[in-house]
Amino acid sequence: MEKIGLYLGCNIPLKAPDIEQSFRKVFPVLGIEPVDLQGASCCPSWGTAPSFDLNTWCAISSRNITIAEDLGVDIMTGCNSCFGILSEAKHFLNDGERRKVVNAQLKAIGREFKGTSDIYHISHVLHHKVGVQKIRESLKYSLDGLKITVQPGCHSLWPTDVFKITEANPYNPTILRELCEATGATVPHYSRLEGCCGMGGMRSTDVEKSLKLFRDKLISMKEEGNPDMIVTTCSSCYLQFDMSQPILKERGLIDFEPIPTFYYTQLLALAMGFDPGQVAAISQIDRRSLISEIQSEKRLIKEVA
Amino acid sequence: MLITQEKINEAVSTIIEYGGRGILNCVQCGACSAICPGVRAGFPLLCRSLIRHLLNGELEEIIEDSSSWACQACCRCTEVCPRGVRPQEVVFAFRRYQGNQLAFSTSSVTSQMNLFETGHAVYVDPKEARSKVGLPEKTPTSAFDEQAKQEIQTLINNSPMGQLGLF
Repeated sequence: MEKIGLYLGCNIPLKAPDIEQSFRKVFPVLGIEPVDLQGASCCPSWGTAPSFDLNTWCAISSRNITIAEDLGVDIMTGCNSCFGILSEAKHFLNDGERRKVVNAQLKAIGREFKGTSDIYHISHVLHHKVGVQKIRESLKYSLDGLKITVQPGCHSLWPTDVFKITEANPYNPTILRELCEATGATVPHYSRLEGCCGMGGMRSTDVEKSLKLFRDKLISMKEEGNPDMIVTTCSSCYLQFDMSQPILKERGLIDFEPIPTFYYTQLLALAMGFDPGQVAAISQIDRRSLISEIQSEKRLIKEVA
Repeated sequence: MLITQEKINEAVSTIIEYGGRGILNCVQCGACSAICPGVRAGFPLLCRSLIRHLLNGELEEIIEDSSSWACQACCRCTEVCPRGVRPQEVVFAFRRYQGNQLAFSTSSVTSQMNLFETGHAVYVDPKEARSKVGLPEKTPTSAFDEQAKQEIQTLINNSPMGQLGLF
């Protein structure tokens, strides 16, 4: 079984641990052993060190990367921001001068960045290392007949020159669509597929502008796809969709019920038959009837031992 | 506003020093703004327009504008720029200039304190939620690892962030 360092970030282990649990359930089934990166910190997120000092950003990011280097493993993360931050920092450290300065900072805490661990997004591991065929074979329930609208998010798409794995065309991403199709569900295209959800710095700076951008995207999803659920591989997008749809509904800014939203591995864990109380237990939008539908007897493909 | 070479030089060198190395390559084509979610959402000083102001020598004049803090760092701009400006790096360089002048919202201070104290920019006590989903109450992260927290604090204290007077 291939070992890969599981970099958790902040939101997933602290606010949405059911997403973390879904990683821990699905990866071993697919032949990947997630390894804890003990003592890993915030990546650090865009609003912290990257907003003050480039080398401090690189030092905190590279400290996280050295934890994986010491274990001889690559890194996978389920947070798009963490993926972007760690990938950018690693890219900056290709500059020999900067690497010297940052390693001088790391020396004070007994660490050295070597650049031996690659940074992957969880969707990359699922798509490139595991592959959709193996995912298909791991299912207990088929999602045939259900419709998913996907939200890839931003930081796993651009800038392509700093990532280990990229989409063939980042303006028309296909990785998440193919991962969702592997469950048997239908995944319609929509015009704002690659659009930003408005979370992150935008939301903390001006929540009204953020909600407007979010609403434009949401209405495009509803109007063009009318999905049973929204599925994302970005934990920030996940929080925005789960938290802001009820706000729009309450304000009368959408005329439909909030669409249940899952992180991809939550959906996969449900389709593998794992306990929803562990892998999809925390959300503002009520997902119970959809979860019962997903895990209903008529959808059984086979018994998983 | 009077545009002087001296002010232009000061703005450009400040931005380059803070990491916006490509700023002088900008030809104001606007490809970045056309694809920027922040511009679409209505923030006035991002991508092309921010670079225009900086190339006119404005720094203090725009220091209070919060647009740069709304940048998602999505890097669509960096991908499309035909001149290698990497506009997101310019936006962040301007944000660093603002940050080092303490021109940012108080809500942002909380993230810095959280990072310093727990190693997490976003921190909520996770124990209840984690045990509910069958995970150990404590994360394997810096939040529950004293040595990790000390390492983060050392890195921050030894950096320009340690001079901000926040911690």
